[in-house]
Amino acid sequence: MATDPVVLSLKQSLPCRDSQIDQLYNLLPGKDDISIPSVYICGAASTGKSAVVTSMLHKLEIKHAIVNLVECYTSKILFENILNKFSDHTFDPTNPLPYAKCDNLMDFISHLKGINGLDKSVLVLDKAEELRHMDANLLPAFLRITELTNLNITVILISDIVFEKYYNKSTDVEPLKVYFPQYNKDELLEILTLDFDYVKSEAAIDFDVDFYKNYLSLFLSVFYRACRDLCELRYMSRVNFTKYLQPVVQKQCSVSDSMVLWRNIAPVLKNSLEVLYLRVDVTSDQMNNAAHSLELPYYAKYLLVAAYLASYNSTKDDKKIFVRNTGKKSKSVREIKAKSKVSEQLNTQLGPKPFTFDRLLAIFYAILEEKVGFNNNLLVQVSSLVELRLLVLSTVGDGTSLDGQKYKCNVSFDFIHSTAKTIGFNIKKYLSDFRHL
Amino acid sequence: MDEETTSVSKGVFIFNNNTIKRSSHGKKRKKQTTETTKDDNGIFASNLWYQQYANLKTILEENITELNDNMFSSVLSQLVEFVGNCHNTTVEEIPTAALLTGINMPDHGAQFSSLINQIKQTETPHVVCLQSQDCTHIKNMMENMISKFINYDSPLEDEDEDDHRNIKKNQLNLPVLQCWYNNLYVEKSSSSPIKQQTKNSQKVLVVIIPDFESFSTIVLQKFILIISSYIEVLPFVFIFGVATSLNTLHTSLSYQIMSKINIRVFKSQPSIVYLDKVLENAFFDTNFPFHLGGKVFNLFVDLFLFYDLSVNNFITNIKYAMAEHFCSGNTMSLCTLSISEAREMIEMFSHNDFENARHLLSFRKLVEDQTYENRIKLLTDDDYLKEVLMQHLKKIQKYLRRFHLFLKLLHVLVNDLPKAPLGKKIRELYAIAVSKDITKSDEYRQCFQLLGFLSKTELLPKISTIINILSPRVKRFENNKIADFLNKLKQDLKDLNDFNMNELQDAVEEIECEELVDETMDSRKQFKEKLLGLTKQKATRQLNKYEQLRKDVLDLLTNAFEEYLVEPKSFYFHEIFFFDDVSIQNNIVGSHRSAIHNALNDPQYYLQCSCCEIYTSSTILRTMPDICVAYKLHLECGKMINLYDWLQAFLSIIDHSDCDDESRRYVKPELQARFTQAVAELEYLGFIKNSKRKADHVARLTWGG
Repeated sequence: MATDPVVLSLKQSLPCRDSQIDQLYNLLPGKDDISIPSVYICGAASTGKSAVVTSMLHKLEIKHAIVNLVECYTSKILFENILNKFSDHTFDPTNPLPYAKCDNLMDFISHLKGINGLDKSVLVLDKAEELRHMDANLLPAFLRITELTNLNITVILISDIVFEKYYNKSTDVEPLKVYFPQYNKDELLEILTLDFDYVKSEAAIDFDVDFYKNYLSLFLSVFYRACRDLCELRYMSRVNFTKYLQPVVQKQCSVSDSMVLWRNIAPVLKNSLEVLYLRVDVTSDQMNNAAHSLELPYYAKYLLVAAYLASYNSTKDDKKIFVRNTGKKSKSVREIKAKSKVSEQLNTQLGPKPFTFDRLLAIFYAILEEKVGFNNNLLVQVSSLVELRLLVLSTVGDGTSLDGQKYKCNVSFDFIHSTAKTIGFNIKKYLSDFRHL
Repeated sequence: MDEETTSVSKGVFIFNNNTIKRSSHGKKRKKQTTETTKDDNGIFASNLWYQQYANLKTILEENITELNDNMFSSVLSQLVEFVGNCHNTTVEEIPTAALLTGINMPDHGAQFSSLINQIKQTETPHVVCLQSQDCTHIKNMMENMISKFINYDSPLEDEDEDDHRNIKKNQLNLPVLQCWYNNLYVEKSSSSPIKQQTKNSQKVLVVIIPDFESFSTIVLQKFILIISSYIEVLPFVFIFGVATSLNTLHTSLSYQIMSKINIRVFKSQPSIVYLDKVLENAFFDTNFPFHLGGKVFNLFVDLFLFYDLSVNNFITNIKYAMAEHFCSGNTMSLCTLSISEAREMIEMFSHNDFENARHLLSFRKLVEDQTYENRIKLLTDDDYLKEVLMQHLKKIQKYLRRFHLFLKLLHVLVNDLPKAPLGKKIRELYAIAVSKDITKSDEYRQCFQLLGFLSKTELLPKISTIINILSPRVKRFENNKIADFLNKLKQDLKDLNDFNMNELQDAVEEIECEELVDETMDSRKQFKEKLLGLTKQKATRQLNKYEQLRKDVLDLLTNAFEEYLVEPKSFYFHEIFFFDDVSIQNNIVGSHRSAIHNALNDPQYYLQCSCCEIYTSSTILRTMPDICVAYKLHLECGKMINLYDWLQAFLSIIDHSDCDDESRRYVKPELQARFTQAVAELEYLGFIKNSKRKADHVARLTWGG
């Protein structure tokens, strides 16, 4: 195998991707042979797919265009983007026109033919899974672009999902596939260690690579099971490393005191494992109780409770629950047993059911002890609850029927429970799931 | 405008207001608004009361805007700082500020606009505020954002404005924005490196999304993904206004998206705190003469707490009450706290204006309290009334100033008592104090009982805060009762400070121990009796020195409160300063159902015509509008209404002439048309709907009246 110096330098800057780099290097258009029409690269998020492809193209000095399909919400933007990049078109700031106006695939192909020097160039489509939501002719056309344009263009598709997911009637060309596997623990450790320079520049005290590696192996021992995403791990390790260093910064212990440091960081790591992916500061407390941090007017709270009751009680129970019965029936053990259901059958576990506006108001007036006038301010509350997404409209009607509107309550039981508590309302008494207890 | 809208066909005409192009037409708009306010003045400008009203309104508004700026200043400055600093280091994620705002979006309009202004002034001119209604699709959103960025008129290139506008919307995409940005910063600084490098260090692009909840999550997710792919070349910063809680962010954005943004949370104050601040600083201000009476004030506060938590609405309500108050006549122009101003006003009064004053309720009381001659004088002699009025005005003005001052003092004393009998907030105190004699209320008595148990450490800070509040006031009106009061308080504070608690306790303990040990106990019962006796003794016993001092201070305070915190109704002409007409409830709290029912059931209520007068609500007159007749007839029906029967009943009311069955078969087309129209109108209003279940029937949709 040819050991191009470029490949070696690539392997150095992008560790743990050696086989993939070799594979790609062989697939990319070389000096003399015919290039491969299409390559499909797949692998989970943050496994270095885009990084390998872009840096390789840069270093090999192959003419290329990289387009992120996410930003191409219309195919027009996609075509014009590719053309702009292939033609090295620069915008005139006062009148930013693209290289060519291009609305459909035919125009695109003909414009592409018009650009000089496209032989042995590469077109990279990042986030290729978006192609499935775009025009149906795009994917087959890109896979056969050499045939269509008579140019030696290699198309590289980069995506998170396997190619089988793209199959439909018109897919008959299979691209060559390169798979990027996820990093294992040792590889992660190696890559995260590259962060050393950044971390050191941020930190207030001096330490060596081994110290940082120690920390990382501690860190990975907690996080490796929950998450393999490099970006997330890097973010978390940075956040936690400052906390790891804290005792040293405050002169409570020395850098070599690894036991003290471990005892100090263990609970912190455990806490931050809980907010993995959430990107919030562990110390902020509003995470704990959404219901307390949300301030609603008094009647809006009642409306929300009424909506919850309407969503999670079946209509036939309404009369039993909300009509005040005079004689209290004593409950026998058998009755309780008969009524208790397995948790899968509980209404509260099944998700909200839609209810009409009339029912909402009826329940609202049934649970509210004082008499309150039916006025516009009250009605406005319902729509503002909808706006806050605490209620959702369940029927997407055409808007012609004003009375046919149905709603669903969009909050969890814990949320409504603590909301009900703030207005001194025992919600369990009114839910058919819990009433018999 | 009339010319523009004349058209053969009916249609909807769009008048572009300038809101969209605000930044560019700021100057023009200002001119327009000043003109319109002048025009507004035209109707009432000559009336004295209007001048006073306009005057007070501007004072109130100024106070509130100033307060707004101060209120948000801490959060704002944090945010602005965040925006300024977030791109100092290289970033991989989009820096994002999540501003937890609370549920009232309209209230935050002011907050966001001042945020935009501040960012524009200090950090970067590139601020874009996206509204959810403009961003239903990712395409709209991107184009909107980019056009707002590019069409921003930087002060340097005002002339080029038109060129920028030429770009078609569908040409706008991120490469264009990138090119525009590079043109602004990167290229310029490279072409003239020395001159502009410092000045044009790359400014960040701020995108504000004020109502996160109303955005479609799919659009937002895509938007974030797209922007994140450009973060290396374009320094974006997001500011999300989140109304509910941070959880909304997590539930609506998937992990993939969350990892693209770097969130920092900012919290603004809850609206109840906002309300309290507004009340304390703008409304309970000693310089603001207009006051709400207890009932109206409670109504407004209830509306706030129970229905909307909207401070904007609260302020609008106050403004409405003010308008209602002042338009009741020129007497109200005397609602001012400066005596000279009042004098000026009253000099301009005409005979009618004095008559207006005589219509005040408290004037009757005043007359009744006078001797016979004075009564006649009051009722007939305008000059005499003028003097009397001035006299009483002075009294009230003095009272009001002290009222607010002592209300604050009382608040200091009672706000942290256990269970807070008088309430924790100054607004609660105000509501009680303006509706009755607060010093005679049970709650007040309870408070002072509790105050009587305070220890020295609890009492001292209260007294010293009171003195701190009082001292700056005294300089203004020196040598009077309040100054005396302050001096006495200071003396008391000094005594309390000097007093050593330890001595006292030792003495007390000694006495008690002696007494207890002294006696020999025979039984538990005896011991109990002994203790009971002791406690009684204690109550009657001479107060010790500290207790004596405490009692003195509290007596001093309570005397002052009794003097100054009297009920406003005890003053003649209090109506000039206090507005307490609860009937405005109907105007403030809309209730459309009853309004519509009223209009249809008793049209005379709105039409004010003599022909439709009815005495019982079920009467139907043929003079009423058709829709009323149809409505009243439909009230008598059940769930399904037979159209033919309905028509016959309609005809029997409208057309008395022929009642025999023969002629009924033939219905005059004109009458049938009228009936059909009335039914269609009812359907439009939502009272009935077509039914598929029964032929020739409509279903009734409402019940009761």
